Amino acid sequence: MGDFGQMTFESMPHLLTALVLSPLLGILILAFIPSSMGQWLKRTAIIASLLPILIAGYVYANFNHNAGVMQFVEKFEWTSISWTNFYGSQPIPNELHLQYALGVDGISLPLVFLTALVAAMAMFASVLIKKRWKLYFILMLILEIGMLGVFTAQSLTLFFVFFELTLIPMFFLIGIWGLMHREKAANQFLIFNGLGSAILFFGIIWIITTAGFTVTGNTMDISADQPVAHFTDFIPTIADNLNNTDTIANATEWLKPYGLDTTYLLSNSTKWTLFILLLVAFGIKLPMFPFHTWMLRVHSEAPASVVMIHSGILLKMGAYGLLRIGLSFFPEQAQESATWLAILGVVNLLYGAFCAFAQDELRSLLAYSSISHMGIILLGFAANNTIGYSGAVFQMISHGLISALFFMLVGSLYERTGTTSLSDLGGMSKSLPFISAMMLVAGLASLGLPGLSGFVSELMAFIGLFENHPTLTYIAVLGIILTAAYVLRGVMNITYGKLAISTKMADAQLVEAFPMVVLTAFIILIGVYPSVLSGPLDQSLHEWAHWLNHTQAGG
Amino acid sequence: MGTYSQYAWLVPLFPLLGFIIVLAAGRLVQRIGGPINVLLSIASFVVAALIGWERLTPGIENYVWNDWTWLKIGDFNITLGFEINNLNALMLLIVTLVSMLVQLYSIGYMAEDDRKHVFFSYIALFTFSMLGVVMSENLIELYIFWELVGVCSFLLVGFWYEKLEAKKAAQKAFLVTRVGDTGLLAGILLLAWNMPGHALDFNSIFNAINAGDLSSGVITTAAILIFIGAVGKSGQFPLHTWLPDAMEGPTPISALIHAATMVAAGVYLVARSFDLFVASPTAMLTVAIIGGFTAIFAATIGLAQYDIKRILAYSTVSQLGYMMMGLGVSTTFAAGMFHLYTHAFFKALLFLGAGSVIHAVHTQDIREMGGLSKHMKITTWTFAIGTLALSGVPPFAGFWSKDLILLEAYHHQPVLFVVALVAAFFTALYMSRLFFLVFTGKARKPAHPHESPAVMTIPLIILAILSVVAGFVNLPGSEKFSEWLTGVAPEEATSYVPMIASTIVALLGISIGAVFYWRPKFSAENVKKTFLPVFTVLNNKYYIDELYQKTIQVPYDLLAAFIDTFDKYVVQGAVSLIQYIVNFVGNITAKTQNGQLQNYALVLVFGLIILAAVVIWMGGGAEVWAISGK
Repeated sequence: MGDFGQMTFESMPHLLTALVLSPLLGILILAFIPSSMGQWLKRTAIIASLLPILIAGYVYANFNHNAGVMQFVEKFEWTSISWTNFYGSQPIPNELHLQYALGVDGISLPLVFLTALVAAMAMFASVLIKKRWKLYFILMLILEIGMLGVFTAQSLTLFFVFFELTLIPMFFLIGIWGLMHREKAANQFLIFNGLGSAILFFGIIWIITTAGFTVTGNTMDISADQPVAHFTDFIPTIADNLNNTDTIANATEWLKPYGLDTTYLLSNSTKWTLFILLLVAFGIKLPMFPFHTWMLRVHSEAPASVVMIHSGILLKMGAYGLLRIGLSFFPEQAQESATWLAILGVVNLLYGAFCAFAQDELRSLLAYSSISHMGIILLGFAANNTIGYSGAVFQMISHGLISALFFMLVGSLYERTGTTSLSDLGGMSKSLPFISAMMLVAGLASLGLPGLSGFVSELMAFIGLFENHPTLTYIAVLGIILTAAYVLRGVMNITYGKLAISTKMADAQLVEAFPMVVLTAFIILIGVYPSVLSGPLDQSLHEWAHWLNHTQAGG
Repeated sequence: MGTYSQYAWLVPLFPLLGFIIVLAAGRLVQRIGGPINVLLSIASFVVAALIGWERLTPGIENYVWNDWTWLKIGDFNITLGFEINNLNALMLLIVTLVSMLVQLYSIGYMAEDDRKHVFFSYIALFTFSMLGVVMSENLIELYIFWELVGVCSFLLVGFWYEKLEAKKAAQKAFLVTRVGDTGLLAGILLLAWNMPGHALDFNSIFNAINAGDLSSGVITTAAILIFIGAVGKSGQFPLHTWLPDAMEGPTPISALIHAATMVAAGVYLVARSFDLFVASPTAMLTVAIIGGFTAIFAATIGLAQYDIKRILAYSTVSQLGYMMMGLGVSTTFAAGMFHLYTHAFFKALLFLGAGSVIHAVHTQDIREMGGLSKHMKITTWTFAIGTLALSGVPPFAGFWSKDLILLEAYHHQPVLFVVALVAAFFTALYMSRLFFLVFTGKARKPAHPHESPAVMTIPLIILAILSVVAGFVNLPGSEKFSEWLTGVAPEEATSYVPMIASTIVALLGISIGAVFYWRPKFSAENVKKTFLPVFTVLNNKYYIDELYQKTIQVPYDLLAAFIDTFDKYVVQGAVSLIQYIVNFVGNITAKTQNGQLQNYALVLVFGLIILAAVVIWMGGGAEVWAISGK
C-alpha cells in the first residue's frame, strides 16, 4: 500500500479550520462599526488581518519539517448521498461521501503563509481606498477566507467551494472600487473565471464519480453480504486510487466479478480528457496564453491593493490547483505532455516579456510581467522532477511577494502622481527616494537577481527542465535577458532621468513603508536562505516520488 | 594548517558590515560613511594580507569550507562556502588593496556630493560581492556573486541618475553583461546534469575531467558557455560596448570596478575553471583568438578618442583582451593572471589620476586640457609612471607581465604574437598622445587647475610605487610568481626576442606620440586629415554601437510592438467575440433580470452544458455513467 494517505493528526484538532475562518472575526467586528467611521474600519481590518498571520505562523512553527506527509489534518464526513446502481445485473448500493477535509504539507504550507501575509499587507495598502470602506474590508476578508481555504482544502468539493468563494468578492472589489473601466473589467473577470470554474466543476464531478471509487481501508467490506460502493472526494485517496498500483489491483479484484475491471481504471483517453480539462480550467487562472486577456484588465482597472491579492495570490491558485489536482492525479499525462507544457511555458515567458517591453502603462507592464513569470511555473511543471516542481512552488511564493510589493508601490505612486504612465513619469528618485529605491528592489527581484527570491525559483526551474529539454531551457534562459530589458525600462523610466513632475511630494508614510519593508524582507530571506522553504517542500515532494519516479534521474 | 585561511570569511564580512551600517544609518552618516568604510576595508585588507603571507609557505594545502547547505532539493545539494588557494589569495589581496585605496580617494573625490553615503554603501556592497566571486568554491555560488557585482556596477554607473547618459549607460551595462551571464548560466546547467552527483565545485570538476567523466563535447560546450560569461563581464568583443559607456559613473568607480576588479572577473573565471579550458583545445583557441582580436581592436579605437576616460576604457578592454589571449595561448593561467595583477595597479592608478585631472579642470576632453604638469606635480609624475607601466617599458610592472604573455604567444601562436606586438605599439602610442596632450604644452582652455588633496594623492603614490615594483616578483628566469600561483614551473625557455621586440614597439609608440604632441615636429591634424576615413571609423568605434542599434535594438522594438499589437487585436479580439456571444445569449435568457450575479450563474450553467455535450459527444462520458448510475 502506498503511504500517501498517511497523515499526522495533531493535538489541536481544528487549527486549520480556525485559520481558514479567522477572518470571520474581523468581518463580525466590522459589521458593528458604522460605515462612516473610516479610520476605525481601516484599523480594525488591518488588525483583523494579522490574526491569520499569527495562526499561520503558529502552524509553520509547529509543522514537522522533517515529514513530508499531510499535517494538521482535519477530516470528517460532510454529507453523503446514496443511490442504487447496477453492476452488470446485480444492484449495489452506492454512497457518495463528501468530505470536509483540511491539511497542509510542504507544498501548501508556504502558500498558506503567503496568503496570510499578502492579505495583511494589502490591508495596509487599502488605507488609500477612498469610499465604502465597510463593504470593501468585509469583501477583502471574505476573499481571504476563500484563498486560505483553497490552499488547505483536501477534498475536491471543498476546494471547489473555496475556489468559487474568491470570485464573488473579487468581482465586487473590481467593479466598485476600480478605475474608469471597472465594470467591464469585472465583467470580463467573471466570465472568464466562471468559464474556468464550470470546466473545473465538470472535471471534479467526473473524477469523483470514477476515480473516487474507494476500496481501501474499512470503507468497503468485501465479506459483507451486501457490498457497498463508496465514492469519495478526498484528494489523497483519489490520487492514490489513480496511481498506486496496489490500490488499483485491489479495486480491479473487487470489480472483477461484476465484469467492470476496466471501467474503474480510467481509460487513457478519459485521463487525457480530464487532464486537458484541468489544464484549461487552471490555465485560465494562471493565466496561460492565450487565456490571459482577462487578467490584463484586472491589473489595469482594479485598485492597487486588490491587485496585490489578485496578482500575488489568486493567480497562484491556478498554479497550485494544477499541481495538486492536475499533475498529482495524472502524472503520466503530465509526463507525456511535458514537451508541450514546456513549450507553453516558454511561450508564456517570451510572449509576456515582449508585450511587457511594449507597454507604456506600468500596470500593463506588470500584468504582462506576471504572464511571463507564470511561464517559469509551467517550465517547472514540465521538468517533471523534484527540483523542477520545487522551482515552480518557489516561483509561486516569490512572484506572490514581488508582485504584491510592486502593486503596493503602484498604489503609493498613483496616490501621489495620479498616473502610472511611463511617459508621464521620470526622475522620481529625486522626489520619492524611498518609493523609488523600493521599486528598484522589486525590479531587481523580478529580473531574478541572486540574493532575492526570484533567482532561486528560476534557477531550480531551469535546472529541472534541463534534464529532458535542454534546447527549450537554453531558449528560456535567453528569456532572462528580455526580462531584464522590460524591467529596467519600466523601473528606470520612472525613477531615473530628469524629474518629470515637479510638484512637491511626501515620500512613503509609515503605514505604506511598513508593508514594503516586510515584503522586501521576505524576498531577501528566501533569496539568501531558500532552505527556509525548501526543507518541508523537499520532504513533501519526496512523498510524491512514487508517482514522480517515472523520471529515472529525477533529481 | 589554515590558521588564517579559516578566517577568510572575515575578508568579505567587513565590507558587508559597512554596507549594512551605511545603508541603515542613511543620512546620519553622510559625512562619516566614507571613513567608516575605509577603516573596515583596512581591516579586510589586513586579513587578506595575513592569508597571502601564510600562502607563501611552501607546500601549504588549499583550505575548503563548504558546510552551509544553501539549497537541498532531491539529489541537488547546493552549498555555499569558500576555498582559499594561491589563485584566490592573490585576488583577495588585489581586491581589498585597490578597494581600500579607491575608497580613501573617494573621500576627497566625492566630498561635494550630497549622496556620498549612498555611494559608499554601494562600493561596500560591491567589494563584498567581488570578494564573494573570488572566494566561491562552486559555480553556482560564483554565479550568485557574479550577478551581484554586476548589479553594483549598474547602480554605480547610474549613480548620477538624473543624467540621461548615466541612465542609458547603466541600462546598457546591465543588459549587455546579462547576455554574457546567460552563457555562464547555461554552462552551469549543462555541467549540473553531466557532473557526477551534480557537483559543481571546482575541485570536483577537476576530478571529473581527470577521471574522464565528462565527454569532450560537454567539456568544450561548457567551457565556451562559461567563456561567454567572461566575455560579457570583461568587455571582450563582441560584448565590449557597455564598458566605455560605463565611464558615465564616478571616476573612482571606473578605477575600481571597470578597470581593476570586476571587469577582470571574466579573466579570473577562466583561470578558476582553467581545468575545463585546458581539456578543450577548441575552447582554448576561442579564448586566445577573441582575446587577441579584442586587444588590437580596442587599442586602435583608443587612438582616436578624445575623452580621457574613454581612452582609458578602451585601453582596459584591450588589456583584458591581452589577458584572455595570455590564458588562451599557454598551458597555465600564470601569464594571464600575472598581467591581471599588474594591470590592476597601473590601470587603477591611471583612472584615479584621470579623476584627479577631471577634478581639477572639470572637463574630460583632452583637447581642452594641457600644461597640467606645472600645477599638478604628484598627479603628473604618478600618471607618467602609470603610462610607462601600461606601455610596457622596462622595468615597470606592465613590461614583465606583458612580456610573459608575448613569450607564451611567441612559443605557441606566432600569429597572435604579431597581433599582440602591434597592439602593444598602439597602446604606447595612445598613452603617449594622452599624456603629452594633458600634461605638457600650453593650457588650451582657461582654467585654474590645482593639485588634489592628500587623501587623493596618497592612493596615487601607493599605486605608482606598486606599478613600478609589482613586476619584480616574476622576472624571466626566476618566475617565482608563476610557480607559486600555478604550482608548476614554467616550461618555456626564456627568450629575448619578445622582450626586445616589445621594448622597441613601446619606445617607438611613445616617441611617435612625443613628436606629434610633446615637441610637435609634425602636425597630428595633418595626419588626421590624410587618413580621415580611417580616423572617422576609429573615432566612431567601428560603428559597432550603430550596428547593434540597427540589427538588434530596432528589430527588437519592432518585434515587441508587433507582438503587443497581435495581443491587443487578435487575441483580445477573439476573446471579445466570445464575451460578446456569452453576453448576447445571457441577455436573451435573462431578459427580465439585470445584474451581474445572474451573469455569473448563467455562465457557469452555460459552460457546463456545452462541456457536457462535448464530452458525451466524444464518448468519454460513457464511463461516468457506467459506474455512477445509468
